[in-house]
Amino acid sequence: MPARRALTPVAVFASVVLVWWLAGRLGWTNAYLLPAPKAVVAALTDLAASGALVKHALTSIQRVLLGFALSTALAVPLAVLLSASRPARTVIDPLLEFVRQVPPLALIPLLILWLGIGEAQKLGIIVLASFFPVFLGLRGGIAGVDPRLIEVGRVAGLSRRDILTRIVLPSALPELVVGLRISLGYSWRALVGAELIASSAGLGYMIIDAENLARTDIVLAGILVIGILGLLSDLLLRRLIGHAFPWLSADLEAARA
Amino acid sequence: MLEVIDASRRYEVAGRTVLALDGVTQRFPVGTITAIVGRSGCGKTTLLRLLAGLAEPSSGAVRRAPAAGIGVVFQEARLMPWLDAAANVAFPLKGRLGRAEIDARVDEALALVGLADARRALPAQLSGGMAQRVAIARALAQRPDVLLLDEPFSALDAFTRRTLQRVLVDVWQARRPTVVLVTHDVEEAVLLGESVLELEAGRVVGRVAVDLPFPREATDPAVVELRRRILARLVGEPHSDPRRKPCT
Repeated sequence: MPARRALTPVAVFASVVLVWWLAGRLGWTNAYLLPAPKAVVAALTDLAASGALVKHALTSIQRVLLGFALSTALAVPLAVLLSASRPARTVIDPLLEFVRQVPPLALIPLLILWLGIGEAQKLGIIVLASFFPVFLGLRGGIAGVDPRLIEVGRVAGLSRRDILTRIVLPSALPELVVGLRISLGYSWRALVGAELIASSAGLGYMIIDAENLARTDIVLAGILVIGILGLLSDLLLRRLIGHAFPWLSADLEAARA
Repeated sequence: MLEVIDASRRYEVAGRTVLALDGVTQRFPVGTITAIVGRSGCGKTTLLRLLAGLAEPSSGAVRRAPAAGIGVVFQEARLMPWLDAAANVAFPLKGRLGRAEIDARVDEALALVGLADARRALPAQLSGGMAQRVAIARALAQRPDVLLLDEPFSALDAFTRRTLQRVLVDVWQARRPTVVLVTHDVEEAVLLGESVLELEAGRVVGRVAVDLPFPREATDPAVVELRRRILARLVGEPHSDPRRKPCT
């Protein structure tokens, strides 16, 4: 029943909107604290018509993509290096473990001092927030490689490097993919946090600006857009991965059959 | 040249030392096919792993021709889940041979194991027996000088097993690799081995020359008689030698 599977989430969202609408209609909620769906849609339409929505959304999307790419470009080689070299592990692991314990938002004051309130600071926050899921996912994937597959490579006379690229990394891919998906979600959350604190553009800024103007309809509109963009980016990432690595989805199909 | 000289192998299992192989000296002359039989846990797989270079002897030595290409078929298929059947067969050849040569060898090997139609299938889409046949094709496509097989046919149904036993004999007769076949199936050992080694508690306790022409039939009275004799020895009275404890 693929049609029914696709319809279920739509039905769930529709029910939420219905309850939301009823709550306003029946006077359960205050129109200022929770504006009705109609008001939020009106706010969205206005924002879209003025071009503000597209401008803020594009600013945020650009930051997320750049930060996510940067943190993946850092996390993947570092995870490979630390998995392959015990000395590197001994030196770098405790440092990373320390950084990991500190919530990125707690570092915003320092980042503002070091990097200013411009793009560098936002990228810094995103990298700090999204580095670890990719890094730890790949580390876990590499650590979990089936040693029996490595033996196949050894018998075939593969070099250490070939064993890494032809057996270890492909084996670790499923966990890397999970890390990438978590990391993309974290990027969004961290960015909006950063934009709430110090920014002059982006969806987070749009929300905080609306709060200052007591425009809860715009606040809700902003939240809606952030959620939708997050869902869309995850969907896109999954599509991309399914296209590039068909065996990941083939695995799932076989398990389902 | 393929031989082990006074080779022993110890393992630590839960703080206890297990002697998996106990001073085995054995030559496997070039171009011969040797079957090794014995109960589970008697050191067959350990001996094969030493020959493959996947484990080092705790004492003693393993000698192998330095440039020999080795093909191994493990008890489990051990296919790369992200590669289709053809790519799995090509796996050890990649980077060593030209594309056309690899393609030809993959086609030939998959046809030998009866999986010419399954080229594009991913391991998750194959049955256990089919996956094992791909693994056998992977070893055959290497055209190795030394072919080491660890219970390669035990996951297969009886008909496929018989077919692949014949394929192995054909390949061996055509290219004459040195074959070492580990099996717990005494009939299979007699059908395929020029000689049959009996392993017990990590020691070679018997060696039977099988002087019958190929292809052999399980119903041949000579095969039946040899099988009966080897079985009687392996399951018979415990040996009086106290070092030859029955395996557990």
